[in-house]
Amino acid sequence: MNKLYRGLARPYQIWLIILVFIPLLAMVLISISNYNASLSLSEVQITFADWDLLFQHQTLVAFKNSLVYASLTTIISFVLGYFVAYQIKQSRIKNKFIILTIIILPMWSNLILRTEGLLNIMEENNILKSIIGFSLLGNIAGTPFAVLFGLVFTYMPFMILPIYTALEKIDISLEEASQDLGVTPFKTFWKVIFPLSLKGVVTGSIMVFLPTMAGFAIPKILSKGNIVLIGNIIDQKFLYTTFNDGSLLAVVILIVILGSLLIITRFDKEGETLL
Amino acid sequence: MEKKKALIELIDVTKTYDDENVVDNISLTIFENEFVTLLGPSGCGKTTTLRMIAGFVQPDKGSVIINGKLFNDLPPYARPIHTVFQRYALFPHLNVFDNVAFGLNNRSWDYLTHFFGLDEVTEEAIKITGGEPTKAAMKKVVKSKIDKAVRDALTMVKLKGFENRKVDQISGGQQQRVALARALVNRPQILLLDEPLAALDLKLRQAMQYELKEMQRKLGITFVFVTHDQEEAMTMSDRIVVMKDGVIQQLGTPKSIYNEPVNRYVANFIGESNIIPGTYVKKDLVNFLGVDFACMGYNFADGEKVDVVIRPEDFDVVDVTKAKITGKVIFSLFKGVHNELEVQIGETVLLLHTYESYEIGQPIGLSIDPYEIHMMKVEVNE
Amino acid sequence: MTEKRIDYPVATLEEYGYRETPAYVKKIIKVLKSVLTYLVIFFLYLSIIVIAIQSLNSSRVMSAFDHVSFQWYPNILNEPELMTAIKNTFLVSSIATVVATILGTFFAIGLYSLEKKRRQQWMLMNNVPILNADIVTGFSLMLMFRLLMPLFPNIFGLFTLVMAHLFFTIPYVILNVMPKLKETDPNLMDAALDLGVRPFKAMLKVLVPAIKAGIFAGMLMALTMSIDDFVISYFNTGAGFDNLSVWIYGVIGRRELTPSVYAFSTLLTLFTLVGLVLYETLKNNKKKGKLWLRK
Repeated sequence: MNKLYRGLARPYQIWLIILVFIPLLAMVLISISNYNASLSLSEVQITFADWDLLFQHQTLVAFKNSLVYASLTTIISFVLGYFVAYQIKQSRIKNKFIILTIIILPMWSNLILRTEGLLNIMEENNILKSIIGFSLLGNIAGTPFAVLFGLVFTYMPFMILPIYTALEKIDISLEEASQDLGVTPFKTFWKVIFPLSLKGVVTGSIMVFLPTMAGFAIPKILSKGNIVLIGNIIDQKFLYTTFNDGSLLAVVILIVILGSLLIITRFDKEGETLL
Repeated sequence: MEKKKALIELIDVTKTYDDENVVDNISLTIFENEFVTLLGPSGCGKTTTLRMIAGFVQPDKGSVIINGKLFNDLPPYARPIHTVFQRYALFPHLNVFDNVAFGLNNRSWDYLTHFFGLDEVTEEAIKITGGEPTKAAMKKVVKSKIDKAVRDALTMVKLKGFENRKVDQISGGQQQRVALARALVNRPQILLLDEPLAALDLKLRQAMQYELKEMQRKLGITFVFVTHDQEEAMTMSDRIVVMKDGVIQQLGTPKSIYNEPVNRYVANFIGESNIIPGTYVKKDLVNFLGVDFACMGYNFADGEKVDVVIRPEDFDVVDVTKAKITGKVIFSLFKGVHNELEVQIGETVLLLHTYESYEIGQPIGLSIDPYEIHMMKVEVNE
Repeated sequence: MTEKRIDYPVATLEEYGYRETPAYVKKIIKVLKSVLTYLVIFFLYLSIIVIAIQSLNSSRVMSAFDHVSFQWYPNILNEPELMTAIKNTFLVSSIATVVATILGTFFAIGLYSLEKKRRQQWMLMNNVPILNADIVTGFSLMLMFRLLMPLFPNIFGLFTLVMAHLFFTIPYVILNVMPKLKETDPNLMDAALDLGVRPFKAMLKVLVPAIKAGIFAGMLMALTMSIDDFVISYFNTGAGFDNLSVWIYGVIGRRELTPSVYAFSTLLTLFTLVGLVLYETLKNNKKKGKLWLRK
């Protein structure tokens, strides 16, 4: 490619630095300060005084919840999502565009509204029950199961898409070669297809794990505030304008994300399966 | 001809895609230890035929018989057949060794003990334990036998020392050899090769043609080879099946197909040839280009119109005064070993090869030996 | 042709060392597979089905269906708060999408012309806003804007929202354009420049048309992400400038959501669906037309 256009990369590099590094740097600095909305900038000083927040019972429970819900959501989404992605790939329907549209379409509706809709039919008396005569999901509003259900079926498209992309890229002749060598279709799946789709699985898992771990709206709505994830505490700190506490917790999340980024770059250099 | 055992029999096999008979009522018998080539341009149905033998495509009509058994519904993995794919289809997540070992590594225990000989495995297992042939010991024996088989196969295709390479770190020719080893290590009865040399450059291709032929002879495996390259087919095959539009045009040894093409299509597809309209005067006499020629070995009705086929190298250039036919050189090209000439005789232009060089415009005298004159029935529809 | 019919024995899987799965087991597995697939897809759609039902419910009460009514659809126009939220959403998203598409395309071309190693490094950076948790992005951007407040006291609102949206939409445009750039013939630009076309013109006339599919896909993705965003908007809005997500989140807490929201959401889903189907049909017709011409 022509070197002439290298100049176009420069503004974006500056943009990324301003909007990625500076805010993150500010956040890290604020996490070791006493900064909050009631202080003027001259009163801000470096202190670790508020770090005991990390070891408070409520915070620890929230961290545990975040990890547990994100892990469970990722695992369930992986199992069901892989299954669906594989069925789509196997389906004899020629028009993959339509199938993919079907998977993505729900994502085009407002997330908060969809969650609210789910909450409604998780109540004892709900609109669906008044039509079909029985409660589809039972009276689960406010329970852990409700949160898990909401997370799984909200984020599963992010799992299906990269896996499907990875599956599509596998040359059909590899499957044929395996069967040709005497390996049954079932074993071929485990020995050829699955290992070759791992890239998509890793990407999908991260795309599901990160937003669930750091999210706060879905757990708050579906658990009716019963279940607190780390995101909910950050939300509280934001509302109370204790920014240093919020920053501290966000930095912890950031560290988890950096770890994930390291994993993803080992599998996928330029983020090809991200789409 | 000696009586050989039929290994693959295709009986009235038809495959239809979108109302088009890609393979149209083909019957073909392939014998043991044979090197058979399916030859034809792309879209002639040769690959579909191959895929039906391999089991990737089910025939709509007809039977695929292998070893005297009906194989139509048997899935590819159960067939004693292995394929070398056009683009090799090596597993990108495995190294060279694991690619070659793939088939054996994923077989059932019963298959493997049978493959290596149960007695031999048991015996060696006893040697290890010094007593009972435990399952663990037997597994160890089988594992080392797989290891040895894979190394032997890699040695055979001259890839010793490449075991730990990734398959995308080796050249096209080496990938091709890995694909070959991967199939051969399983000792198949039949090896199918789908244009395996198409992606290689000329020199490598010629070397591989020779090696493949040698391997087939040594191992005694039946090779079914698909190609669109007539020269490749000529060099390697015991028999060639020339196909067009899903139909077999001619089946025979390379020599018979070259010398006695049954129709214009085969004559044109297999090398260069002159096709001249003529008349079968009476037994052993044919008239073309206004001259009577002695011929031999063909039986037509007296006075029947025929197409005469003469290969460019079969003309004898003689002195003009002694010549049966004379003409004028209108084109001359030096081709290294020989000269390629175009000679005009009346309205007809003939292509011929000679060792002498001629100038354009020079007169030339030609004669043809009776056994070099081949005749075909005139095709009405073309 | 002589008709020779031999009845050949049928080869079985057992003879070749494999176990035959009984036909009924195969059937059961097949049925189970499709049931599970459809069930998962149904659950993916459950929420928008519920939204659609609620949009047709004549009653304001959400726990029971009264009778079918379309009243909430025209009523969208009579809900000032909802209308403001919709307007805000479209304002922010359209500005963000247009700017992100244009800048993203230029940036992608710039990044693509870097040497491979540097390009990979910056592409990794490009993935940071995509992979970073929304809460971290939203929170850190909010902090930066807040630090600017002594200089610009009224910074929160449309400006911060658009900046925040640009922050996560540009990377998606780049991510979509980059593969298309890789597909283009590397000699394409050299050829154009060789013919004496000025670099900027060559880019617009030669390169951009070659990658327009990627630009379009990137634009769609940017729009989708922007319209649907909640978390980042939540932290970076201010002065009552709420987009739809933020507004709904606030209203849910107060339990006074108008059914017209469901009507609006359903309309949006239908429009998207119709748009996609139209796009696909047009694309296919165009292809068929070309095929016909060739014949």
